[in-house]
Amino acid sequence: MRSKADLMTTTALPSPPPISLATKIREGYFSGPVSAVVTIVCAILFAYLAYVIVDWAFLSSIWSEADEPLCKEASGACWSVIDARHRIIFFGLFPYEEHWRSTLACIVMVITIVLSCVPWFWSALRLSLLWITGFGIFYLLMHGGLFGLSVITPERWGGLALTIFIFAAVSLIGMPLSILLALGRRSKLPVIAKLFGLFIDFFRSLPLLTILFTAAVITPFVLPDILQGDKLYRVIVGFAIFFACYQAENIRAGLQAVPPGQVEAGLTLGLNYWQRVTRIQLPQAFRNSLPAIVNQFVITFKETSIVTIVGFFEILASGAAAYGTGKWTVHYIEVYVFIGLIYFIFVFSLSRYGAYLEKKLRVGHG
Amino acid sequence: MADQSEQVATGQVAVTMAEVNKWFDDFHVLKNINLTVADGEKVVVCGPSGSGKSTLIRCICKLEDHQRGSINVLGTELNDDVANIDEIRREVGMVFQQFNLFPHMTVLENCTLAQTLVRRKTRKEAESIAMGFLEKVRIPEQASKYPGELSGGQQQRVAIARSLCMSPKIMLFDEPTSALDPEMISEVLDVMVSLAEEGMTMICVTHEMGFARRVADRVIFMDEGEIVEQNEPHAFFENPTNERTRLFLSQILQH
Repeated sequence: MRSKADLMTTTALPSPPPISLATKIREGYFSGPVSAVVTIVCAILFAYLAYVIVDWAFLSSIWSEADEPLCKEASGACWSVIDARHRIIFFGLFPYEEHWRSTLACIVMVITIVLSCVPWFWSALRLSLLWITGFGIFYLLMHGGLFGLSVITPERWGGLALTIFIFAAVSLIGMPLSILLALGRRSKLPVIAKLFGLFIDFFRSLPLLTILFTAAVITPFVLPDILQGDKLYRVIVGFAIFFACYQAENIRAGLQAVPPGQVEAGLTLGLNYWQRVTRIQLPQAFRNSLPAIVNQFVITFKETSIVTIVGFFEILASGAAAYGTGKWTVHYIEVYVFIGLIYFIFVFSLSRYGAYLEKKLRVGHG
Repeated sequence: MADQSEQVATGQVAVTMAEVNKWFDDFHVLKNINLTVADGEKVVVCGPSGSGKSTLIRCICKLEDHQRGSINVLGTELNDDVANIDEIRREVGMVFQQFNLFPHMTVLENCTLAQTLVRRKTRKEAESIAMGFLEKVRIPEQASKYPGELSGGQQQRVAIARSLCMSPKIMLFDEPTSALDPEMISEVLDVMVSLAEEGMTMICVTHEMGFARRVADRVIFMDEGEIVEQNEPHAFFENPTNERTRLFLSQILQH
């Protein structure tokens, strides 16, 4: 009798014909007259657009603050405004000589966020240690008061550091809260389920602006002094509740997509409620609704700009201040392009990370 | 039936159901079920779909609540006491029609999860126990794969190994081969046969009549929520007494 390996060598099947790059291009972009015309028109449009942008941003632009007088003649961007005013954009009202602290704090917070995206940190202990350390250092650098650092109260925080801080704090408070809300709404006890449902629907029905105003302006009249905290923290808590209510619905959708057989398997193995939730249901729920969950983070990052309205100087507001005086008022486009670029770097990384996660979590799911 | 009551007397009873009734809203799924399963006994439950056979074994591990009557498993009464139920579930293994493996964990993690969380075993101990049972079901080489990468038959064997890792005293099988392609049925049945030969107490809902003939001590036929007939396999298949049993057997055995 011939072994299986024998059989394989004697009756080897042909491999599929190789596909050359030229074939791929021909089939994908020039498969017929219509396709060819579309490809060529799009290529010309794209090239033209690219030329206009590159010319404006790089070729015909003015770069240094000293060259600002040349801006009137130049057809390109006047980056002098960024050269001259970038500190206001990045740091807002933060005292000039302490800007290094804000820079360092930003870097620490970004590193914390990046590290918590690494799977090795995904345990309750490691994540909490990481965030306590990250927030601790951030707060120490921004607020000061220890190790000879002068005290700078949150009213004077601003720019990029404030944007990142609000985003990180809202996510940090909001995520656990959203899990709790989602689980509560799915509780078997009708009182709990209805209560959590009402809470979620109530806050989802309010505009974020209303919630932030209430947190900033109205709560001081209602809460006793010790519970108030700083205005910044009240705003963050309000924002986090808003975030959590939306995120809770995403997570609940994910939980509902987990087949009931999974819970039953957990039950018959003797796992208790929390073991089933943390080991079986939540991991699968996150996988199921990852696109929606990442989407909520993206929206939240951009919505941080709304805090301007209750008097905080996040990056968009400090950008407005940067072009708000004297000769710089005409250069608002450059400032907004610059800020747009900063937002883009953060949000685009976030979406790419989401795509990576989706791929990673799909392992073994065909 | 004489030797069974003897076993009851000596306390070697695995499961006792007395006057068990259950309703899904108005639908009466279980009607006055009386059933005693002795320690080490292998019982096969068959019957048309909707006859309540799955519900019957799901009541034994309390995936479903019964509304009247009493169920006693390994000497513990099934009531609403949570500690009781957890205790019972640890001793009763369940294998599902749809396998219900955890898709986000490898085969090995599927087998070690409950051991470490419920039995408080170290990871090393749990893994060596898991590998032992994976060898028993003849797929140790798949240990690091995810369930989605396995065939249905392999997944079901992993599910059996996962249950065995908890060293249960009773194994319940809810149509374990019904979701499988025909060529994979025998690999799962082989595992179940060897388990039976080792003396495990088993209650199997299945339509595999060859398996029933070979392994069962007793075959139970259910229809419309009632136990219509029960007998040892030879008599059950050769001389069914009830008209409904005869009709059912003629339908599933005619091919």
